[in-house]
Amino acid sequence: MSNPVALTPEASPHAAFAVTARPSVVRFLLREPASAVALVVVVLLVLAALFAPWLAPTDPYAGDLANTLKAPGDGFLLGTDGQGRDMVTRLLFGLRMTLMMSLVAVVIGCGLGGLVGFAAAYYPRLSGLLMRLMDVLLSFPAILFGLALTAIVGPGLTAVLVALSIATIPLMARVVRGAAIVVLQQDYIEAARALGMGDARILTKYVLLNCLSPIFVFVTLRFGQVILLGSLLSFIGLGAQPPTAELGAMASDGRNFLFFAPHVSVLPSLLIFVVVLAFNVLGDGLRDALDPRMRR
Amino acid sequence: MLRNVVQRLLLAVPVLLGVLLVGFLLMQVVPNDPAVVRAGPTATQDVIEAIRRDLGLDQPLWIQFLIYLGRLLRGDLGVSIINNMPVIEELGNTIGPTLELMLASLIWSVPLGILLGTVGAYWRGRWPDRLVVAASVAGVSVPVFLLGLGLVWLLGFHWQLLPFTGRTGPLWTLEGIQGVILPAVTLGGVFVGPVARMTRSSVLDVLGADHVRTARAKGLTERAVVLRHALRNALIPVVTLIGLQIGFLLGGAVVVETIFSWPGIGRLAVGAILSSDAPMAQGTIIVLSAGFILINLVVDMLYAFLDPRIREAR
Repeated sequence: MSNPVALTPEASPHAAFAVTARPSVVRFLLREPASAVALVVVVLLVLAALFAPWLAPTDPYAGDLANTLKAPGDGFLLGTDGQGRDMVTRLLFGLRMTLMMSLVAVVIGCGLGGLVGFAAAYYPRLSGLLMRLMDVLLSFPAILFGLALTAIVGPGLTAVLVALSIATIPLMARVVRGAAIVVLQQDYIEAARALGMGDARILTKYVLLNCLSPIFVFVTLRFGQVILLGSLLSFIGLGAQPPTAELGAMASDGRNFLFFAPHVSVLPSLLIFVVVLAFNVLGDGLRDALDPRMRR
Repeated sequence: MLRNVVQRLLLAVPVLLGVLLVGFLLMQVVPNDPAVVRAGPTATQDVIEAIRRDLGLDQPLWIQFLIYLGRLLRGDLGVSIINNMPVIEELGNTIGPTLELMLASLIWSVPLGILLGTVGAYWRGRWPDRLVVAASVAGVSVPVFLLGLGLVWLLGFHWQLLPFTGRTGPLWTLEGIQGVILPAVTLGGVFVGPVARMTRSSVLDVLGADHVRTARAKGLTERAVVLRHALRNALIPVVTLIGLQIGFLLGGAVVVETIFSWPGIGRLAVGAILSSDAPMAQGTIIVLSAGFILINLVVDMLYAFLDPRIREAR
């Protein structure tokens, strides 16, 4: 087959949306103070979570009953929890667990949702059925999936992961379908068809690449939401179970000492706030950077 | 319009059946054999078999499902494994407090959110707008328990201004109102951000519309343009979005009820799941799901009712 130079995404009127063709995205992000800070915070938090086992001063599960509920600064930078475990260590590992949980849920949910979205866009005959199904899923809040799944398989991270993935599928499907339909109307898709390209090739080579911007924005914003929902479920006791270091579960555990050692539950809650805020600000910034229509 | 309503209702039926099927299957996968539970620990095998026949547990699964649907129609959701109370009775006791809590949260957060969103759109790009945008991003990012625990610590414990342990009385008494303040401020607090965000972008959308340009061209003051011509139209999608965000609010309600020991359906559901009380868990999930199907129906109809363009388009 001849090299379809004229068909590359860069040559299309849609090129403005292709992530690959825009090295300026990061520059644009860094120019906005809020997005720049958010980007730095996200990178630092991810690094902290990745290297938690090396950064943490102590074992996250080894208690020290001689040093329980120490206030921050009292021999421990951020104090200790009810079992005498160092809060710095617990927060690092809690962050690691929370980010991992959200990553898995977002990858599964967005993967499946993406497939549904592309299928619905590419095969109009399937669209009605698939999107109706998505509407049904969408009419129930994530927390209800969490309640139902933990009722069936029992409280724990698995149930929460599945619930958050399911709740992500219809949202992603809508975003992807909307973006893909626009791309599929472009001339270069017709040209690719005329050249005899197969469905799979057109989808991966042209449609997917040109839909990356809205997907990027959605995934970033969704990541924050999933962190929030996951820690909510853990906080009410349905997610990660003690002694697992997970931020929501840690905040819940600290409730017992709220009146004499508030740091035990406030610190993990604050960390969740910072993480989610960073992802939300970054997501908004990305949207402004990738979608010129949103620029002010 | 009527045809539309009927169509929506018909669509809701299979969804509701699906929810009931999930509820039914939930009862199938739990390890406890309902016949053994009902018979008690000292029952003989004969008694258990008799109860099994009595409950229809020896029938094929699809007949059991029909029996189950029949029982649901009569309002029989089984009894709690933990305290032997009829599930329907417990549900009846908890729905009221949950609605009370949600109402008390919405009543201040929605007007405040709409006000903030309008302020942001009115001074677009200037400092009040930046403040509103920043506050609403923070508002959608804050975990509801951070807000709740903070308020409990500060206003409940440190300053001892307000009670924070459960519903202290009906809403029309002073004690009742005092008791609902902290939970309602917590739950409403996480709702202001989304409402402000939606209102701001909706008003900004409408500000670019032709009729707004006409209003400006007529020489109306900016205030009249924003309040009378933009906000009124902008509120239509906001109403719908608020309806759809009730799910978000309910998620928060489950947490708020846990923090404040509020005797609502969210706390009942969580308690039932944590104590493996399958009939109670199933009952709460069915009621909550049915509630959502209903909310979605109402929101859809409200949207069509409020927006003549949609009414006619269909």
